[in-house]
Amino acid sequence: MFMSELHIVIFLPVIAGILLFLLPERVFTLKGVLSVLVAAVCLIFSFILYFETAATGTLNLGKEFFKDGSLLNTLLKQTESFAAMHTDNLSKLIVLFVGLFTLIVSVYSTGYLFPKIRPRHYFSYFLITAGCANGAVLADHMLLFIFFWGIMGLTLYKLIKGHTSISASTAKKTFIMIGASDGIMILGIAVIMHLGFPLSISAMDIHTGSFAGVAAFLCLAAGAFTKAGAFPFHTWVPDYASYAPASSSAFLPASLDKLLGIYFLARLCNSMFVLNDWLTLLMLFAGVGTIIIGVMMALMQKDYKRLLGYHAVSQVGYMVTGFALGTPLGIAGGLFHLINNALYKSGLFLAAGHVERLTGRHTIDDLGGLSKVMPVTFFSVFVFSLAISGVPPLNGFASKWLIYQGIIEFGEGPGLANQLWVVWLALAIIGSALTLASFIKFISGIFLGHTKSIYRSVRGKDMLYCLPQAVLAIICIIFGVFASNWVIPGIIQKVSGDFAYPGIWESSTVSVLVMISIFAGLTIYWLMRGRGFRVDKAFVLGETQDHKTGGYPSGEYYKTITGNQVIRMIYRGAEKKYFDIYDIARETVLGISKRLSWLHSGILPVYLIWIIAGLLVMLIIFM
Amino acid sequence: MKEWIPLFVVLPLAGAFIIPVAGSVWKSTGRVVTPLLMLFLTVFSLLFFSFKPQVMVYYVGGWEPIDGIPVGIHFVVDGLSVLMLAIINVIAFAASFYSLSYMHRFTGDRYFYTLFCLMVAGMNGVVITGDLFNLFVFLEIAVISSYALVAFGIEKAELEASFKYQVLGGVASLLILLGIAVIYWQTQTLNLADISVVLQEAGNHKTLVFVQMLFIAGFGLKAAMIPFHAWLPDAHPSAPAPISAMLSGVLIKAVGVYSIMRLFFNMFAISYEISMLIVIIGTVSMVGGVFLAIGQWDFKRLLAYHSISQMGYVVVGIGMGMVILSVNGDQRIATLAITGGLFHMVNHAIFKSLLFLNSGALEYRTGTRMLREMGGVADQMPITSASTLSASMAISGIPPFNGFFSKLLIIIAAVAGGFYLIAVLAVVVSFITLASFMKAHRYAFSGIPKFKGKNMLKEVPFTMGLSMVFLASMCLGLSLLVIPFLRDLVLAPAVDALMNMLHYSQHIHGYTL
Repeated sequence: MFMSELHIVIFLPVIAGILLFLLPERVFTLKGVLSVLVAAVCLIFSFILYFETAATGTLNLGKEFFKDGSLLNTLLKQTESFAAMHTDNLSKLIVLFVGLFTLIVSVYSTGYLFPKIRPRHYFSYFLITAGCANGAVLADHMLLFIFFWGIMGLTLYKLIKGHTSISASTAKKTFIMIGASDGIMILGIAVIMHLGFPLSISAMDIHTGSFAGVAAFLCLAAGAFTKAGAFPFHTWVPDYASYAPASSSAFLPASLDKLLGIYFLARLCNSMFVLNDWLTLLMLFAGVGTIIIGVMMALMQKDYKRLLGYHAVSQVGYMVTGFALGTPLGIAGGLFHLINNALYKSGLFLAAGHVERLTGRHTIDDLGGLSKVMPVTFFSVFVFSLAISGVPPLNGFASKWLIYQGIIEFGEGPGLANQLWVVWLALAIIGSALTLASFIKFISGIFLGHTKSIYRSVRGKDMLYCLPQAVLAIICIIFGVFASNWVIPGIIQKVSGDFAYPGIWESSTVSVLVMISIFAGLTIYWLMRGRGFRVDKAFVLGETQDHKTGGYPSGEYYKTITGNQVIRMIYRGAEKKYFDIYDIARETVLGISKRLSWLHSGILPVYLIWIIAGLLVMLIIFM
Repeated sequence: MKEWIPLFVVLPLAGAFIIPVAGSVWKSTGRVVTPLLMLFLTVFSLLFFSFKPQVMVYYVGGWEPIDGIPVGIHFVVDGLSVLMLAIINVIAFAASFYSLSYMHRFTGDRYFYTLFCLMVAGMNGVVITGDLFNLFVFLEIAVISSYALVAFGIEKAELEASFKYQVLGGVASLLILLGIAVIYWQTQTLNLADISVVLQEAGNHKTLVFVQMLFIAGFGLKAAMIPFHAWLPDAHPSAPAPISAMLSGVLIKAVGVYSIMRLFFNMFAISYEISMLIVIIGTVSMVGGVFLAIGQWDFKRLLAYHSISQMGYVVVGIGMGMVILSVNGDQRIATLAITGGLFHMVNHAIFKSLLFLNSGALEYRTGTRMLREMGGVADQMPITSASTLSASMAISGIPPFNGFFSKLLIIIAAVAGGFYLIAVLAVVVSFITLASFMKAHRYAFSGIPKFKGKNMLKEVPFTMGLSMVFLASMCLGLSLLVIPFLRDLVLAPAVDALMNMLHYSQHIHGYTL
């Protein structure tokens, strides 16, 4: 068949994106509407694709249109030899979610991107990104994969407007890190070729017993880690989240980059390579390290978009941990968490963008009590926050639960990594608790308390903003409530393989219990209303809270952590970017550059001496 | 077709004489004649791709060989020469078309076009000649006109750069001339094919090694390999932008790398030691150049240092092929390495010329070359911004641009050939390249405008814009060369010319072992 779902989900957005370059920037809304249409079509076809059987084959590029043996025919025929595609349950699932996020974010972007923060040709790059993401997920040939994957780095760079020096620097840093990781992946591919494996992702099965095998794995994993934003290659994510338009953050670092990075990591850990014990240990270490570092940094943030950026890092840790376990339970947990995280994290970014758009403020302390003026956003954020913190019965809990169970089950194995299961479990749970802590800060600082007087006139019920958030929130609830009886057996186990569902956890029953208890609580409150209560001043952080100022000073909540000398030093170092791999590399390179420039004095006799010396050295060696 | 080969030299040479003479009557002669001439040569050189398997020989003045011994000068066009001719003339066309608007800022533009034609004649001559001394003569024609063109702005900095360039270039020419003299003393002939035959009979000895050292130093200087590179960072930025594009885009390849390839593959017998030396020089240039580049704040100077680094890639690719051939290693890996090197050379010609044209466009509108004094021009200059971005992506090896594929080939060949360190270094250099171009974008195109006259900023004139768009589309289009069919058409004949080392002399000389 010449036109298939694959053609549409890959080429339609890319071609539409290229055509949108031709429309002038003035008709931004028109471009937005067209993008929404394209995204909707893609989503429909992703759905159709999802229900088709898995297949491997080459993408037909239309060679039939040209005479056999003609120039274009030969060209297309040879191009097709690189266009090996492979669909299985994992890739179809990822494509489906790429389609979903493309649609949701395109709707939001049409309303959100006002001219001052709007990157040029936003929707063109947006659609190209979506098409390339699908291409990368469906590609079976490594070179085709890296081709699509690399283009996404470029579009990521183009989706942030460098109109101020700080946003320009952020764009630069992001692209350098992503581009560098792509380079490392090429090295990995070269090693795989050297080992004599065909470059087919589905057929690869490399043992990491040899040095070359380990090197290839590490090179490719570095690419996946950078894309997904896992420690130690995560440092672009918080910066991007702070200075890019919220729609771009919601689209790439929060959803598509996660989907792709973790998709590739899943392929690496569970089908392309057979991990040895040390690599499993390393991956688990990276996983829990990411969780803790991300969340500890998030706790201290005052800028709410940056706070979300650090959580975008922290959550990746759970997925890495899940896939590193390598058991069906772990894979299921990692995959489910990937989808859940993309849902609530992109929702949080959309909400943050909404708040920023209406108030123009970046720090939590400047805000307060917005729940009354932005009810839909507040409801969505409330759901997202509970989900990300792993509060039952929401989806975040369901996937974390699987990961915890996976770790416990993993502990029965004989290896060193298995013996340390308590460590992984403890750190994962602590990370979850700290996430809750930082979201209490987020929600109470922005939405709770009395509305600050300057925000009383804010109109926060615009459909274009609210609808995408509400849709995401509802999906979060559905995925949580029906986790154990529909989502996990119906979607996740198709990918991860079957496993005995652990424990007596049953999501719908628990949801009903939770509803009953909430209802009971409300009833008690209603019955007791006006009796046995006294109204008193509120105390926050040991001080009386003044009603008139509105909001809570939640920016100060966790300041006491820095009371510890060591922790304070670490935070100071992190603020000065001592631990940022990008800054370390930058300083090193510029240092060497400075030394070498010093040799280039511009004095002619010195240069002459170099030439003569070069010639002499060669002569001495060879004569 | 072979009767027409001399046109590559004759036409630009004729142009160089007509322009100053006719230019005194009709001032626009140069502006009209040069681009047309270059367009004709471009089309003409591309025609030659259709005769790929043949080695075409033209006997200048009808001096046919006597008893198989060449007596006159030969012009030889084989796969490698065709590739070089295409690069030279395509870039020359783009640069001359760009100059139409750009050179308005300078007086005496007819001398500019005269020198331009002369330089093209010299470069075309270098790549088609089959005679060692003739090669030297054409080389001098090309570089002497480039000395003058570097000084074309006649400001203090330009004159100083040109002076340094002349002195260092003169040293290189002397070394080359000395090498040629020794060769002539040893072999009593100057015909490349004939020398090759004589050398095969004579075997390898010390004098030959000495000559090879002289050539590596001399042509290495022309190709700006570290430690012979010091003239380049001064000379290339000082020239007018289209000339910088010609110098970095083609001159260092045509007179430097091409000569090294031609002489070491087709004239000398390849030895392991010399091949390793070439690989090492290439690696040092690749790494050293990029470290020097990233610290620069003058955009053109940054580009100039990148030329050193990128030519390092080319030389490494070709050198690895030489090493593998010299130890009779896997032919396929050698082919891959040489293909990667040549592919990168073609790509570098396109993207580096484009980058210099972009730097000219920026200087044209902002009046400065310093990155820190520009800023925020992306919105007003979309064509410049987009074409610079594509060239930057190409040089940094980001898909879907051409540089990605050539670097990919080089890295794969390096790993497959066992040059693991080189593979790692190639990747690291690629990061730093990306970083330095991101720096250029961040300061030149993003952020807040800092230069004078920012309110009157607009896109560059038509001819400059069109040249840049033309080259930018080639940055994308040349990616297709990775497809076997096009690779066989364009790159493979050149690779074959190098791989079948003796074929060149056999064909011309009729000599068989």
